Amino acid sequence: MATNYTDPVQIIELKESILEDNNKDAQDLRDQLKAQKSCLLNLMSGPGSGKTTTLLALGKYFKDRISWGVMEADIDSDVDARTILAAGIPSVQLHTGGMCHLDADMTRQGLNALFDSTDQHLDLVVLENIGNLVCPAEFDTGAAIKMTILSVPEGDDKPAKYPLMYEECDIMVVNKIDALPVFDFDKEKAERFARLRNPDIKIFYISARTGEGVEALAEELITRVQAWNA
Amino acid sequence: MATVKTIMIEESVFADNNTAADAVRKMLTGKKTTMLNVMSSPGSGKTTLLTALVNKLKDEMKIRVMDVDIESTLDAQRVADSTGVEALQIHNGGLCHIDADMVTRALAQFAPEGSGVLEDTDLLILENIGNLVCPAEFDTGAHRNIMILSVPEGDDKPLKYPLMFSVSDLVLINKIDTLDYFDFDMDAARERILKLNPAATVLPVSAKTGEGLDAVCDWVREVVKDGGRR
Repeated sequence: MATNYTDPVQIIELKESILEDNNKDAQDLRDQLKAQKSCLLNLMSGPGSGKTTTLLALGKYFKDRISWGVMEADIDSDVDARTILAAGIPSVQLHTGGMCHLDADMTRQGLNALFDSTDQHLDLVVLENIGNLVCPAEFDTGAAIKMTILSVPEGDDKPAKYPLMYEECDIMVVNKIDALPVFDFDKEKAERFARLRNPDIKIFYISARTGEGVEALAEELITRVQAWNA
Repeated sequence: MATVKTIMIEESVFADNNTAADAVRKMLTGKKTTMLNVMSSPGSGKTTLLTALVNKLKDEMKIRVMDVDIESTLDAQRVADSTGVEALQIHNGGLCHIDADMVTRALAQFAPEGSGVLEDTDLLILENIGNLVCPAEFDTGAHRNIMILSVPEGDDKPLKYPLMFSVSDLVLINKIDTLDYFDFDMDAARERILKLNPAATVLPVSAKTGEGLDAVCDWVREVVKDGGRR
């Protein structure tokens, strides 16, 4: 994918939250977004599972159906926000200053910057969290939807080893299914481990690279976003 | 068959982790035990790589392994079953990293003073939590840090998780047998790693096929020979 590295990228240096009660703060943010008819999706996964590529693949189906923007959270670099902006999607890069997760207050700082950066109303804002299967699961960001990506090369045992992530998420996306022939990944086992802690988790199989399965995931998300904003 | 012990470790009460880490390192050096701290993202192949490495080295040195996970005993059991060496499973109660005090307490149970366990160990391997962020911030008392970046995760990881690459003495690029399936630029990855950490050794490997493992064994032999000293 050609990325235009001359695009200006807005980088937001987040300040660590001083609020003690993150859960209350997150609920306040969720209520505020509900009133504004904006749906926040917290996208979490291990590093390199394909969060940004998945968003780009979904964008094809979101186009003309819902307006959306992306907050890219990273410890350093702005490669992800550049990639999203190059696809014509409003995006800001959030730097956490070494922090391993985002909380509600940091998310609010990012949202303010994203809303300020565009004239559009955003039906959906995706928070692409730090690549980490542990800490982000512990912090409510105010999101209406929580989604995690498990990529085939990471292995089918991840839901057993990082159970909180799968317990917290509404949707589990298994990505890089085009690589199934080269890895020992047991779909049944991954589903069983994930459902052990979260029987209601919705599971989608996709290849963000080839586009396989992406449409069904996009429809699920569009339905949820429209229901939230109704 | 080697057995797996599970130990529950909670958050450190030590404010000064570096002091505790130096004490662990000094104690281990005194027993002629070299400790390696192995870090990576979830699913980059830590356990598979360690198992292959241990099998190659176990006849020439006495090895023990400590596996840290939030839940499950999958890794320690795998190491114990496939190598026959003693493997200890450490559960850290949901924490995203392991610090020197946790290592101290694990060793107090695994290898108490007077048990002779450490005197009988040349190489102690700590398999850290799968996380590219937090483990990099905590000195565990190991003599050297090893990190694994796997090809499917992408060559941009040094840009996004710089601290991990900065604190690692050896960076292994794993799953090179899948290079044909992924857009991974080996030269770019190497250049990004060495820019962050010019003293790092970068070795491409495939834990699955065994390619490149001999060079890793040589690196480990050198470190163990010097008893972890620089």
